[in-house]
Amino acid sequence: MLEIRFHGRGGQGAVVASELLAQAVFFDGKVAQSFPFFGVERRGAPVTAFTRIDDHPIELRSFIEHPDVVVVLDPGLLRDTPVTGGLKPGGLLLVNSPQAPGAFSLPQGGTLATVDATRIAVGRKVGTATMPVVNTAMLGALARVTGAFTEASLERAIVAFVPSHPEENRAAARDGAESVRMEPVAPSSRPSPPSEEAAPLPFPEGPVASLPSNILHTSSWRTLRPVIDRDRCTRCNFCWEFCPDDAFDFDAEGFPVVKLLYCKGCGICATECPPDAIQMVTEA
Amino acid sequence: MAKLTIPREELMYSGHAACPGCGPALAMRFLLKGLGPRTVVSVPASCWSVIATPYPTTALGVGMLDNAIEATGASISGLRAAADALGLEDLNVVGFAGDGGTADIGLQSLSGMLERRTDALYVMYDNEAYMNTGVQRSSATPQGAWTTTTPVAGEARGKLEPKKDIMAIVLAHHPVYAATLNPSFPEDFVRKVERARGMRGPRFFHVYAACPPGWRYDSDQTIELGKLATYTGIFPLYEVENGQLRITRRMGQLKPVEDYLAAQGRFRHFSPEEVRQVKEQAEARWADLLAREKATSTPAPVREVPPAGAPAPRPSATT
Repeated sequence: MLEIRFHGRGGQGAVVASELLAQAVFFDGKVAQSFPFFGVERRGAPVTAFTRIDDHPIELRSFIEHPDVVVVLDPGLLRDTPVTGGLKPGGLLLVNSPQAPGAFSLPQGGTLATVDATRIAVGRKVGTATMPVVNTAMLGALARVTGAFTEASLERAIVAFVPSHPEENRAAARDGAESVRMEPVAPSSRPSPPSEEAAPLPFPEGPVASLPSNILHTSSWRTLRPVIDRDRCTRCNFCWEFCPDDAFDFDAEGFPVVKLLYCKGCGICATECPPDAIQMVTEA
Repeated sequence: MAKLTIPREELMYSGHAACPGCGPALAMRFLLKGLGPRTVVSVPASCWSVIATPYPTTALGVGMLDNAIEATGASISGLRAAADALGLEDLNVVGFAGDGGTADIGLQSLSGMLERRTDALYVMYDNEAYMNTGVQRSSATPQGAWTTTTPVAGEARGKLEPKKDIMAIVLAHHPVYAATLNPSFPEDFVRKVERARGMRGPRFFHVYAACPPGWRYDSDQTIELGKLATYTGIFPLYEVENGQLRITRRMGQLKPVEDYLAAQGRFRHFSPEEVRQVKEQAEARWADLLAREKATSTPAPVREVPPAGAPAPRPSATT
């Protein structure tokens, strides 16, 4: 049995990816199972989905704690989500990134692979420029590096089940398969560094939520970041006024300052700014 | 820093779980700016029950009661009774429910609260479908709109039925104050909140609440879309105080509804005939408002009859 875990953000298509993969596996004549983790499914919020592949009916019904393959649809998730947690030694980590596989690390050893699925999705006009839907490009790459399902079945599943722009998605899957890069990684001889998981929150007694939500940071939801041009800014406060995340403050001179821990990158401030002093730039 | 036109104080914390560009998040932010800290909010199952409560945190700097989806009206009647029993007469009691929790599932509870003349403010934030569960149609979904349960494919043309007129239903209960609010007009929004805060008796807000994922538009367009909703006559801004209607955003000529419809994926399938119907409805709605404003410009004899034993009117603004 092959167990695959997808990490993405709401809107990128991680859940649909796990389902399309299962459909492709069925077209191959094998058995699959796919299901998401139901958490906060807001657009931009981290999302997890799972797929199992086997030759026989699958009776296991649990989440996948020890995957053979981890697929990361957004490299920003590597910053603050323990995506490789439980990945088996010798397993595969596939990341959506323009960088070479060597830019990432896999202390337990295995295979690293990268594919620039964002560029492919934007080029094929799958999704929008602010929220490209990268799932089909990632699946094309996954088919090529694992061989666990055929690219022909994947394209058949895309045509049968993707409701909008199936041809563009099919082309994106092909691009993903053609451009994926992979590299074997030997296990690190050094002991693996201690887990960087955040310290558990101090839970209060009883069923009352008493801590302010601003102890939680939503910067990882963002794909675009507002940059303020102080020479053009007239300090009119529209950016502050219309921000749904209260992600603006003012400096001593009264200029707006973006609170980057909270900004989700919606772009309202840039659109509403009367002198066009705010530009949305891609997060590195 | 130029002079702020709405209060600086924030009672909605960052770090909440709303989608980027969320209209309901702005609605809550402006509502709490107008109400101030002496407030308790009852929120039923809806987007906002998820937005506010990534446990163990809360996004509200005021008390919040998480209640069942059909019970918002009943819960604020209970909260008011408890506040009065404790002598907390200056406490603003607020229900904050979505269109599904108000116009569908909670309609009996809203009607009961209005009929009991509960001294509380009921806010319906209207994102025009069940967005928290993934865009299923509600009775507040506009006619023709795409949702996951009113698909557009082949002969299916989105939702068949017209949007339920919640303001007409509420006004039939003769609340002391009812108004339409739109976060694209923050000064008008906060002014109406402050006005309602100084009154006693049942009050109701119908709040326009744009939803980027559910309505299929880019998140930076939330404010622009809201302006178009009002300027096209699709969501006009007005208030009704003791039966007297006043338009708070006057337009000489309505903008073309095409501008509003074409900006959203949920209406993109509209034929010229369907666009024409929306245009006619918007024009009729606007003409009706103008006529009602004129007809009620001299206030009728006050029909507000406080129930026996009701507390005396309280002083206006309390913070």
